[in-house]
Amino acid sequence: MMMNPVLLKELKVKMRSWKAAGIIGGYLFILAAVALFITYANANDMYSSTINPQFSIGAYSGIAVIQFILILFIAPALTAGAIAGEREKQTLDLLLCTNLAPRSIVIGKLLASMSHILILIIASIPMFSIVFLYGGISVLEIAQLFGFYIVTAIMAGSIGIFFSTYVKRTIAATVLTYAVGLFMCFGTLFIAVFYIRIFYNYDYQSYLPLLYLNPLAGFSSLLTTQFGGQYANIFNMIPGLYMGNAFTYKGPAPWLINTYVNIGISVVLLFLASIKINPVRKSLFSFLKRK
Amino acid sequence: MLEIKSLYKRYGKFYAVEDLNLSIPEGEIFGFVGPNGAGKSTTMKIICGLLTATSGEVYIDGVDALRQNKKIKEKIGYMPDFFGVYDDLRVDEYLDFYASVYKIKEENKKKIIDDLLELVDLSHKKEAYVDNLSRGMKQRLCLARSLIHNPKILILDEPASGLDPRARVEMKAILRNLKDMGKTILISSHILSELAEMCTSIGIIDNGKMVISGTVADIMQQIYSKKLIKLKVNDKLEEAVTILKEFPFIDKITTGENLIQCGFDGGDEDMSRVLNTLITRGIPVATFAQLDGNLEDVFMKVTKGGEEK
Repeated sequence: MMMNPVLLKELKVKMRSWKAAGIIGGYLFILAAVALFITYANANDMYSSTINPQFSIGAYSGIAVIQFILILFIAPALTAGAIAGEREKQTLDLLLCTNLAPRSIVIGKLLASMSHILILIIASIPMFSIVFLYGGISVLEIAQLFGFYIVTAIMAGSIGIFFSTYVKRTIAATVLTYAVGLFMCFGTLFIAVFYIRIFYNYDYQSYLPLLYLNPLAGFSSLLTTQFGGQYANIFNMIPGLYMGNAFTYKGPAPWLINTYVNIGISVVLLFLASIKINPVRKSLFSFLKRK
Repeated sequence: MLEIKSLYKRYGKFYAVEDLNLSIPEGEIFGFVGPNGAGKSTTMKIICGLLTATSGEVYIDGVDALRQNKKIKEKIGYMPDFFGVYDDLRVDEYLDFYASVYKIKEENKKKIIDDLLELVDLSHKKEAYVDNLSRGMKQRLCLARSLIHNPKILILDEPASGLDPRARVEMKAILRNLKDMGKTILISSHILSELAEMCTSIGIIDNGKMVISGTVADIMQQIYSKKLIKLKVNDKLEEAVTILKEFPFIDKITTGENLIQCGFDGGDEDMSRVLNTLITRGIPVATFAQLDGNLEDVFMKVTKGGEEK
């Protein structure tokens, strides 16, 4: 099978630059600092036993949260300039006049960025090995976490690719991508809080569908599901925002639905980006013009 | 090989291309000449599938290029007027990337790349980074890129623009080679004389319309249906003009300091009769010559000064 040429070229070029090494180095430095801090805090806790399972949960959640936030920041930065950058460098026309399908260009660009994220995730595995020293976390749970990282990164990357095709300048595409990302993370949360406060006061005991768009809510739901709802729920302080307590919640795990929603968003955005990048595309609304 | 019928491209009320008709037989080099903003690049982008046409038909090797866009991409090699290169890619890697895009087999890639680099005289820069090449070298590399899949027709949008005289000569030599290899080439420029010597035929476009097309000789014939005569007299300028007016085949007489220029619609015998009459009647003629039409004059004449839009 022939590898996507855009992906192959991007991998070659990106991995050759100091920027790639810098991102990996900085990323691991932050994660290592967090892991060391947690280990140090545990070692100085006079009340803790030698083997404390709570430590592993704390360390796991600490590293997982930092890693998730880093991925949310890095993924849009890697993709927002992918197509707009080609346009700015005047290389896009050269690609479009070849027999490479617009969809291959879009997917090649996304996969190249995702491979970078994948390298970051793989490089972080030794950090998670600290957790295994103390027990309490299974390999399956780490696999779930990494899977969620990848799907969220693809979703965030797709937003970047989408704006990169619709906006001509890389800077504008980056700003718009982060704006949408911030709205998904915090805007939906504020709307959810106001909605529940106005219509349900404190009695709302379901999962607000709007939060399926929120990657932080999905991530929080994943951690609470893995720990039985007792730990790591970063939204516990907000009354009525139910995040999926494993003991009482009967429906499918919210993080799972969140994953499906992320996949759906990615497919739609990549499809729209492929249409937009095609210079001889038919307008989506051409049927309206005919009328 | 390339046929354009009644092509239109409209942006709002402005027509970038208007009722353009063109036919280029296989193996010909067609020079597409016009001032900046005349519609050359727009037409070329439509042919390459980088722009949609408002209406009209474009056929490449018998394939409808506007409706079967995917089919014609294998047949076309396109070099835009402005293009960029990828940072951190070497010359051979750059060509290898485009070879992969065109799904050229791995075992054939190396030979094709080596041959193309030799054709554009960049073999010695094979392992240099693209970003470090001079402008002329980048233009030649881009030309090699457009040839990587051995297309039948080359669409070259001002390939020599911004090049120094030496690089222009080198580019012309490469294009002559391609002509000898039997490639059909559509090449644009805003300098007529640059294309006249290498093109089998040319078309002059202005304000989106094809003003005139044909071989260079045909165009000169069409523009200068009458010959021009220029003569210099040492004295008696007004008397010379009066004598010239007596001949029915002479018109449009203009004068300068001891200089006379006029239109002439006669044969060689009439020409010698005019000169003989002037000398017999005592006009001190210093020079007497028939003017050939200048290519730049032709360009200025048909493009109304070539002003930018």
